[in-house]
Amino acid sequence: MASTAAAGPRAAGAGLARDPALAVTVVLLWAGLALFVLYPLAMLFARLVVDQGHLSLGGLGKILTDRHQVQAFANSLLLGALVGVIGTVVGFAFAFVAARGRLPRGVVAAIDASVLLPLISPPFTTAIAMIFSFGPRGLITYGMFGIKGFTVYGLWSTLLSEALTYFPIAYLTLRPILAAIDSNIEGMARSLGASRWRVFRTVTLPLAVPGIANAFLLLFAASLADFATPLILAGNGFPVLPTQAYLQITGMFDLRGGAALSFALLVPALVVFVLQRYWVSRRQYVTVTGKGAGVTPFDSMTPPVRFLLLGACAAVTLLIVYFYALLLYASLVVALGANHSFTLAHYRTIFTDGAKAIRDTLIIAAFAMPLGGLYGILVGYLVARKRFPGRGAMELVSMVDYALPGTIVGIAYLIAFNDPPLVLTGTALIIVACYVFRYGPTGIRATIALLSQVDPSLEEASRGLGAGSATTFRRVTLPLIAPAFFAGLGVVFIRSMTAISATIFLISISWTLITVKILENITELSLGSAAAFSVFVVVVVFVVIGVISRAMGRFRAPGAAPIASLLGG
Amino acid sequence: MGVNAIRVRVDGVSKRFAHRVKGEVYAARDVTLDVAPGEFLTLLGPSGCGKTTTLRMIAGFETPDEGRIRFGDEDVTQAPADKRNIGFVFQNYALFPHLSVAENVAYGLRVRGVADAEVGQQVRDVLQLVGLAGYEQQFSNQLSGGEQQRVALARAIVIKPRLLLFDEPLSNLDARLRVQMREEIRELQQRLAITTVYVTHDQEEAMAVSDRIVVMSQGRVVQDGSAEDLYHRPRTRFVAEFIGRVNLIAAQVVDTADGAVTLAALDRHLVVRYDGESLLPGDAAWLVLRPEALQIVRADDTDAALQGVVTARTFLGEKVEYRVLCGEVPLQVVRHNSGPGDLVPPGLTIGLAIAADAAAILPGEPE
Repeated sequence: MASTAAAGPRAAGAGLARDPALAVTVVLLWAGLALFVLYPLAMLFARLVVDQGHLSLGGLGKILTDRHQVQAFANSLLLGALVGVIGTVVGFAFAFVAARGRLPRGVVAAIDASVLLPLISPPFTTAIAMIFSFGPRGLITYGMFGIKGFTVYGLWSTLLSEALTYFPIAYLTLRPILAAIDSNIEGMARSLGASRWRVFRTVTLPLAVPGIANAFLLLFAASLADFATPLILAGNGFPVLPTQAYLQITGMFDLRGGAALSFALLVPALVVFVLQRYWVSRRQYVTVTGKGAGVTPFDSMTPPVRFLLLGACAAVTLLIVYFYALLLYASLVVALGANHSFTLAHYRTIFTDGAKAIRDTLIIAAFAMPLGGLYGILVGYLVARKRFPGRGAMELVSMVDYALPGTIVGIAYLIAFNDPPLVLTGTALIIVACYVFRYGPTGIRATIALLSQVDPSLEEASRGLGAGSATTFRRVTLPLIAPAFFAGLGVVFIRSMTAISATIFLISISWTLITVKILENITELSLGSAAAFSVFVVVVVFVVIGVISRAMGRFRAPGAAPIASLLGG
Repeated sequence: MGVNAIRVRVDGVSKRFAHRVKGEVYAARDVTLDVAPGEFLTLLGPSGCGKTTTLRMIAGFETPDEGRIRFGDEDVTQAPADKRNIGFVFQNYALFPHLSVAENVAYGLRVRGVADAEVGQQVRDVLQLVGLAGYEQQFSNQLSGGEQQRVALARAIVIKPRLLLFDEPLSNLDARLRVQMREEIRELQQRLAITTVYVTHDQEEAMAVSDRIVVMSQGRVVQDGSAEDLYHRPRTRFVAEFIGRVNLIAAQVVDTADGAVTLAALDRHLVVRYDGESLLPGDAAWLVLRPEALQIVRADDTDAALQGVVTARTFLGEKVEYRVLCGEVPLQVVRHNSGPGDLVPPGLTIGLAIAADAAAILPGEPE
């Protein structure tokens, strides 16, 4: 019945006045968003248009029309598009096999686990494995085929590495959509005389098109923002924007040029964000409720097709497993490709030399995790359930740092917090703030998604039974959104352990990070230590995710998304 | 579990909503209700008629823009839901998914600070009452629709509310269970003697459970009365058509005498009892004939007021439905099935007698 929203700002403002706790929370959140989202971006923009106290676009044009930088821009778009297409195709194949393959539960679980690996790994992992396999002394190029002087660096290796790293995003986006398509619809088409292939072409695929578009955009954005992989693999011949911006700042100490390049990155990132949010999201035919349909999935595949798809997916899975096995092996031998005798020296190195990085990373993660989790459910709850002025704006602003490539956020923080009035560079606070506002939004989305499945009548039932609004939040709403809190915790933790694109601009002598240490190791060619660090991060993340999932399992959560599925966007 | 039943008065209540296309619309407009202590009142109407909005205002989930709501002598118009002491049963049951059956039922008691031992006893008692003894530790996703409905009912009545409110509580159940549950709800309400307001769009359900029915349409109350009243003496075409099935036949007033009107309809003159607003010869009117008010007789029977040809027959077991073409006008006729030899074959010309008192008149301009 008429559950249309009741009137406009009049009612909303009145709600704020009646509920002081709500008013205080809203003001505090806005202060945080203004300081750590809007202010840095404003400063970044100001740096672009103001030169030595004058409004000027000079110099900006020069760097943006520089042939080398135009090439980087084109390369970024090309790489993003290729990663988008290939990753989506591979992700679709995996999703299709998992949703329709009628595979035993164990096999699907194994696929899930291996697909999860790239998502929770520190950056450079596949890049390191690529160098081990295809580098100058690579196991495959040199060891197996004896090719000398093979160049691993360039578009193809970067593409392969990114596609392998990011296709799980497409898998996680598409699988619930394919699983949620009502098998009766496909059965109906079949009963009307369509062949399996025709059903796929005319029913299944069209229903999945919005999901496919979404997956492509997510992959495009991920590749566009990826800093670590091209830094290692792209080489000089294939410059891309994030690495160019980084080199402009760290190599040439040209903050303004770096800002300009990151700004060039902003345009396509924004286009993708807008397309995804306002176009794709309105074209979803399938509602993913998290509830299984409870019907046998439609039998989409003939035996040969099934065999072929399964084979392809198995090959990709094997490649992932091979890469990680290689990483583990490399961390346990003196020098992969040269001396294969067993040693624990690399682990000794990371726990002595790298001890500070490990400690710093864990301390920062320990602070960012609860703050990010809390921030996520607070904003999510307010946006989904409360009425106050600027509600829509809060939702939008809270998503900004999440949607932007890390390079932009990092450079914006660097510009904003390097000079008075707020000097935060060199502190842990700036890194913690970056994680909270950049990765906390996962918790916001999870909370909103969860609350959209919690009928408001549950809260009304509680009110009707005599509980006030505070009691209702504590006894009914909070337990129901607890899974979103833990999901937020999990994602902030994973990202705290694995992020680099933004934070590489924010580290200092006082505070450094494991990921930065891995990068140093790679540039010093201590690949063994880099591998040991990566293995360490993967193990820690797996353990923490296990603990959090267990905690989540204690709460009954109809439709709560598993952490892994939140890593996608 | 007896309570002192209260009178509920809804006095000229309106609620407006901002609508994306139509601008400001009235979900409820000048609604006035008077529910006697212990009465079972049903708000009946199609979706969008304002019945749920009215119920939610009585519950305190919405605040009226105009008008007052009183529980007994207390004005509760501005009171939030948690201060009204009501029992509300939602269409989707709204069971807390993170709590067991026992904890769901106990929720309202705990909010009221009832001691643990007492809570346990009351929960057991009320679950016994709704036939769910032994279900204490189950969770809502382990229950069938009917069981969830009973938990929702138990949760609503265990707090001894002043007023019991139901929002389409049976619409998620299958037909058989719906009939069973509505009998249980009625029986429980009688036993507890608690003032009850019930919302449904199902006229049969409304007739089965209620003492009194209020029919709503487009935000307004259109008629108010017992089931028999509404069925036999509808005051508007909407009520005539919404409650039960009906033959509405365009007619013209020929003559009026005390308590009876002669109508020209279906090419003949019919005399119908009438005590509504005055009609003058020449006025347009509707002749209201319920399908069971028409009796099939032989075409040459002296009681036959009308003649027609049977065009279709639907056998439904206890009753048989016929379509009879009377001149140009198709009529629905329902007849109790009194045996295999009793069926009238399609194609036969028959006579139709109109039972005394069974016809009614609605004033109005025929289309």
